[in-house]
Parts: sequence; C-alpha cells; structure tokens
Amino acid sequence: MSDHAHHSVVIPAPGPGFQDHVVAHHFDTADQEFDACKLGFWLFLATEILLFGGLFAAYFYFHQMYPETFVACGRTLSWKLGALNTTVLLLSSWTMAMGVRSAQTSQKGKLLVYCALTVLGAAIFMVVKFFEYSAKIDHGFLPGRFFTDPAGELAHLEYPNMFFSIYFTMTGIHGLHVLIGAALIIWIMFGAKKGRFHAGYYLPVDLVGLYWHLVDLIWIFLFPLLYLVP
Amino acid sequence: MTTHAPIQTTAHNAPQGERKNYLNCTTGFWSWASTLDHKRIGVMYLVGTSLAFLAGGLFALLIRLHLWKPEGALFDNATYNQVFTLHGVFMVFMFIIPAIPGSLGNIVLPLMLGTKDVALPRLNLLSFYLWLGGTLMALYAILAGGFDTGWTFYTPYSLYTDKAVVAIGLAVFVLGFSSIFTGLNFIVTTHKLRAKGLTWFRMPLFVWAIYATSLLQVLATPVLGITVALVALERWYGVGIFDPRMGGDPVLFQHFFWFYSHPAVYIMILPAMGVISEMLTVHSRKPLFGYKMIAFSSLAIAVISFLVWGHHMFTSGQSTYAMFAFSFLTFFVAIPTAIKEFSWVATVWKGSIALNAPLLYALAFLIIFAIGGLTGVILGALSVDIHLHDTYFVVAHFHYVMMGSTALAFFAGLHHWWPKIFGKMYSEFAAKIACAIIFVGFNLTFIPQFVMGSRGMPRRYAQYVPEFEVFHQWSTIGAIVLGSGLALMVVYLVQSLFAGKPAMKNQWGGVTLDWETPTPPPLENFDHPPVVTREVYDYSTVDFKAMRTPANTN
Amino acid sequence: MSHATHSHTAHDAHGEGGHHHVASSALFFKVLVALLFLTVITVAASRVDFGAANLLIAMLIASVKAALVMSIFMHLKWDTAVNRIMFLSSFLFLALLFLFTLADLSTRGMEEQLQRVAAPVADQWKHPNPSGGGAHH
Repeated sequence: MSDHAHHSVVIPAPGPGFQDHVVAHHFDTADQEFDACKLGFWLFLATEILLFGGLFAAYFYFHQMYPETFVACGRTLSWKLGALNTTVLLLSSWTMAMGVRSAQTSQKGKLLVYCALTVLGAAIFMVVKFFEYSAKIDHGFLPGRFFTDPAGELAHLEYPNMFFSIYFTMTGIHGLHVLIGAALIIWIMFGAKKGRFHAGYYLPVDLVGLYWHLVDLIWIFLFPLLYLVP
Repeated sequence: MTTHAPIQTTAHNAPQGERKNYLNCTTGFWSWASTLDHKRIGVMYLVGTSLAFLAGGLFALLIRLHLWKPEGALFDNATYNQVFTLHGVFMVFMFIIPAIPGSLGNIVLPLMLGTKDVALPRLNLLSFYLWLGGTLMALYAILAGGFDTGWTFYTPYSLYTDKAVVAIGLAVFVLGFSSIFTGLNFIVTTHKLRAKGLTWFRMPLFVWAIYATSLLQVLATPVLGITVALVALERWYGVGIFDPRMGGDPVLFQHFFWFYSHPAVYIMILPAMGVISEMLTVHSRKPLFGYKMIAFSSLAIAVISFLVWGHHMFTSGQSTYAMFAFSFLTFFVAIPTAIKEFSWVATVWKGSIALNAPLLYALAFLIIFAIGGLTGVILGALSVDIHLHDTYFVVAHFHYVMMGSTALAFFAGLHHWWPKIFGKMYSEFAAKIACAIIFVGFNLTFIPQFVMGSRGMPRRYAQYVPEFEVFHQWSTIGAIVLGSGLALMVVYLVQSLFAGKPAMKNQWGGVTLDWETPTPPPLENFDHPPVVTREVYDYSTVDFKAMRTPANTN
Repeated sequence: MSHATHSHTAHDAHGEGGHHHVASSALFFKVLVALLFLTVITVAASRVDFGAANLLIAMLIASVKAALVMSIFMHLKWDTAVNRIMFLSSFLFLALLFLFTLADLSTRGMEEQLQRVAAPVADQWKHPNPSGGGAHH
C-alpha cells in the first residue's frame, strides 16, 4: 500500500523564463486546486454583486420617489465623459481578456503589454473621473450634507442632494474598485515578469481578470442609469 | 482502504493514549496563531464565541436584574438602552451567527467529507481573524461611547445619536466578511473536496445544513455590509438615503437591514438543525427518517428565507399590499420546517435510544423549537402582529428559536463531538443535571414573557407598569436558574480537559466519516484517504453491545 | 517525514470541462466591437423618450452588454455549471430586493382603496342585523 508521505504535485514550467508551480498541499490534484479557487472566486464576485446591488436598489428607489429630480440632475452630468469612460473600460476589459489569453498560451511579453494597457485604461478612467468630480464641485454639487447650489440651478427640484449623494457614493465605491483592480493587475505584472504564469498555471491572472471584468460590469449598468436620461 | 469493516470492538475502541494529534503535534502560541488546520481554527472559534456568549449572557443578566423592579433596579434609561443593545449585538454577531459554523462546522465538516482540510485554509484563518478583529472593534466602540440603538440600528435614530455608531457599524461590517468567507469556504469544500464515493446523497445531514447556511451567508451578508457602510457614510457626510430630513426614507433602511437579517436567522438555525439531525440518528441508532426531505428542506428554507423579510416591518409604514405579500409568504417557511420536525420525531420513534447528554439536549430542542417555530407563525399573521410587534411576545419567540433552539443545539453538538475534538469525556451525570437545569431555567425565563407580551408589555423598555411585575420577576428567577445551569456546564466541560477520562475512538457508535478518524484526529485527519462505499447512516455494521462503557451506560 | 520527490505532472491540464479553454483573439475582438456598438445604441436610445419604458430599455441593453462580458470575457460560457449558477443566482436574489422594495414604494398610500372595499363588509359585522347576523352575501 502506498505511503501517505508527502509528495508535492508540481506543474512544470513549459520552458526557460518560466517557473514551476507547486500545488497547495491540501489539494490532491492541480485541477482540484484550479476548480476550487475558481469557484471560490465566483462566490466572492457574487458577494460583490450583492454589495453593489444595494446601491442600485437605493438608486431605483429614489428615482421612483423623486423622478423629476433624478432626470434633471442626470442632465447636469456630462454624458460625453461618461461615454468616454465606458469606452475606456470596455477597451480595458478587452485588453485584460487578451492578457489572460496570453498567460494561457505562455506568451509572457504579450501578457505584460496587455496588463500595462489595462492599467493605462484604469488611469485614464480615474483622470476623467477627476475632471467630472471637479466640475460638480465647482457648481457646489457635493455629496450629502455638503451639497450646495449657489447658482440656484436646481432650486426648483425637491432634494437634489439625494441624486448627488447617490452619484458620488456609487461612482466613488466603483472608483475604489478600479484602483484595487489596477493594483492587482500591477501585482500580476510583477509575477508575470518572473515567469510565474504560463499554460500550466495561470490561475491568478484568470482571477484578477475576473475582478476587472466585474468592475466593467458594474459600470455598464451605472453609466445609463446615472448619465443617460432622455 | 474502504470504510465498511466492522468498527466497534472494545479493543478497536480502546482509549487512544498519547499519540500525536492535531492538538499536540506542534506547540507554542505562534503555532496556534498561524495555524492553517481547520480543527485548530475551530477550537479558536469555540473559545472566542464562548467568551462572546459569556459577555452577552452577562448583559442579559444585567437586563433581567434591572427589570426586577417596575421603575428599574439598576440603571437610568439611557444606560439600559446601551445594555440591551450590547446584549443583542454580542449575541447575534459575535456568538450565534459564527458559533456553530465556525467551531463545529470547521472541525467536523472536513472530517465528515473525508478530506484533509477545507478548500481554502488561509481564507479560513482570515475568517477567524476577521471575527476577532470585528470583536475587538466592537469592544473599542463600547469604550468610545457605546451604542444605544438596539442591535437593529434603525434610522433615523442611529444617524442622530451621539454614540459610537460608526465604530460598531464597521465592526459589524468586518464580522460580516468573516461570515461570508466561512460560507464561501464551506461551499467550495463541499463541492470540490469530497472523498471518493461520497456522493451528495451519502453526505451527512450536518453537511447539507452547513451548505444551505453557507449559501445564505454568501448571498445575504453583503447586503448587511452595504447597509452598515451606508449608515457609516450617512453619519460621515450625510448621504441622506435613510434620513427623512434630507429626503431619505427610514423604511428603506429597514428593507435593507432585514433583507439580510431575516436570512440571518436561518443562518443561525440551519446549522443547529443539522446538528440535531446528527444527534437523533446516532443516539437512536437509526437512520434519519426522510433523509432526502430533510436535505431538500434545508435548501427550501434557505430560498424561502429571502422572500419574507417584511414581516419584521409590519408597523413601519410599508404599503399594505407589501405587508399582505410578506405575511402570506411567511407561512410557507413553516412547511419545510415542519417536515424536519416530524422527520426528527419519526427518527427517534422505535429507535434504540441511548439517553446520552447530546440526545437530552436534542430532545429539549425538539420541544422548545416547536414552541419557537409555532409562535413565529403566529407572529407572521399580519393582523395579529400589529398588536404583538415590539412586545415581549416577539422577544420570547426569538429567544425560543435562538437561545432555546440554536444555543441548545450548539450545546448538543458540543457534547457529542467533545470526545472527538479533545479526546476527553466529561461527566455524563453532571451533563444531564445541567441539561435539566437549563431546560427548566430557560422555560421559566421566557414563558412569562409570552404572557406579558400578549398583554402589551413592550420590549426595550427600561421601566414598566406594575401589573407586569410578577412576570418580570419570574423571568428573572428563570434567568438566574438558566445561568447556573450554563455555569455548571462550563465547569464540567473545562474540568474534563484536565481530569476527564480518555474518550473512545468512536464514543457513540456513529457511522459518518468523522468517527473514522483517530480521536483526537491527527493533523491530516485520516491515515489514508477514505473511500466511501456504504449508504449514509447504515448502522448494520456497528456492534453497539461491545460499545457499552461506563460512559454510555445510564 | 519523507518528501518522496515524485511530482505529478499536470498532464490532466486538459481536464474536466472547458475551464482550460482558450478563446480565440478573433472572438474577443468581435465581442469588443459588439460592446462598443451597443454603447452607441445605449446613447442613441436615451435620445428617444419611450416614457415609462426608458429605464427598462436602458437596462435591457446594459444586460445584453453584461451577458457578453460575462459569457465571453469572463469565460462563463465554457465554465462549469456550478460557477454559472453561483454567480447568476446573485442577480436573482438582488432582483428580489429590487422587486419588493419598489413594490412597497409603488403601493404606498393605497389604503383608501382598501378602505373602500373593506369598509362596507366591516360595518356589516361591526353592527350586525339584530335579527341574526348580517348574512347577505
């Protein structure tokens, strides 16, 4: 009868410039490790959907309660900048997917390039956000109790502060996730440089990619709700 | 290596002696603080949540002592508000929600699945540290001024009160993630790490229960997270969505809060139900009646629990139509619950009953849970609830299901798996006495509360009209009796760790994989990865006569 | 403890299901184009006033985009059923939150309607006919 001595399951590097991957000790096979971590991550993404979902629920609730306010305040947002950001995120989603693909096909150089492009997309997104926020702040449209309307542009509406509270909270928390995602991708780039990721083991790239796509998914819904009112 | 060899000869079942096991394989504080072993993490949860229970219990005792007199015996009203809030917060977030999954679930689930550990051991340790961190943050919040909103943090009061609401809100956020990650881990483990031959319908019902609980933890808790985060943001920069002064709606807070908190009560009770299933089958030496129905009913309860949260809000100002819907849907949860209760009784019926301590706790559960569940159905009826909402009737109901049922099931599981976890046996005699005292004390505490609640005694009141004095006093006496029973339990359990008899390998004659391991289990649980060939709860190979020991003999 | 150094190579890398499926670059590019196109549609649709259906149409288009991202970029199309179910069920339960809270909000203040229906019946039983209960249905 064979031993229960420890033997490590190792996924060998496909070539020079890459590293072996040692499967975590409590798993029996590499597939089990991959499947378990993937399922775990999808469950985590499910929790993110529900976390953000609460904010969407608040949005729908108050949109129903104060329809004129939400329509009018939505018009003060620049749909062009919103559309630009949407385009940037979609492109970055594409570059991230291509990055994961590069890892799956052991193309180290391409992986690094695609990751860098994704981070660039994140940076552009945040810069555009900065300009958007500045514009609002200039008008006095701050979140919550700091909301003012010195020019009286929205004085005819009831509770315009509500729209901007929700706008800043939703885009703020989303922006936080953009930053976290970018940080994770940079971490992937460091690993990629060392050759950790290849056809035999690309799990971390896959998971970070999923996180980034989630960030994109949330924005796909945020954009029309906040920016595009007829 | 298959698992169908006849198990229980006396020689086979002899005490283990000092072989290497997970408790002694490494020593020192750091070996525990950095452990990835699910059993050690479970033991740490056990200690931690027990301390939280102690703290919550002390607050409870303070409440009951204060309410001895109609004008209040101990505190001013403002302090009283803090005391009952602390009682609720500690009990709900730091004890009841994490206790069974964190301690018994962590220790027993991988054993029952025949695997070395949970799927994500580092995440498991993180879950524990999140629990610890959240608890420390809660302690900080107490020192930073406390909180007096009730454990439900209703707005707008929680927005305006000058207490440490942000601190406790963030503590709850952290505790919530502890719960989420635990559930996530268990789902992945159940799907991906089962032993060979262990199909879904060969899994013990404790696993099914933990699985259903884990689904709730993952799907419901995030909404609590965003809710407390929004309250914190409200207090910080006035988001306004819950604040009527800024155009917000306090009822929306209640929708968000109860969207989590109703499934949360099933996060509390489902693991307890799983424990009870195991107790009844093992100690009646009989397969569970209606195994598949019990398994499916766990999932049904999990799903239905998402549809009924508005029944906590019948007097809040929801629309009447919404209330009709919630009340109607609430009744459905009684169906799978009743399926379980009847299946359990049918399991014990004509079984070969061994009146061990775990079974006594389980039988107490059956009675107490029936009362708790039925009073829940009463409260679910909209027209009745209008009168009973926020009275002691509600308080008694949820203590019957949370304390009388969940906590009692926790004790049952503790007594059942104690020999496996620590390799020591406690005094059966003391255990039975304690169980009796707890049962009497518990009922004495809460039956008067049903009565006075139905007569209009409101909850969370620091003072009351003299007509309720006699009820409150009986309730307080009951609480003291209950407390003594619990104290006795702690004494003999702790004593067993130092001076208890060594436990047998399979103390009770269970046939699930957790009883296949040495006692206590070694670090990697199984000497050889088990392969399952038997159907679940097949007692045909157990030689119970050979198992009779002083510990098992009445 | 002997570390027997026999390592298992992961020749089961083409293991279960399609989780090691590698999508083609062409497919990714096509999806990108579709997403950008749908974004244009989203903006265009917002220029037309569909009345009460505005929000719904915007959300529908967004859902199509989301479905593309989830199934292709996130590989759900070739992933295990378990992963799909776990992730998609979160949307289901979220929908419950939306449904009930919005239903509550939309139906508030409709108590007068209920009163109009219920009042006559309630009165009938409140002051029953002395000759033996108000029994005309």
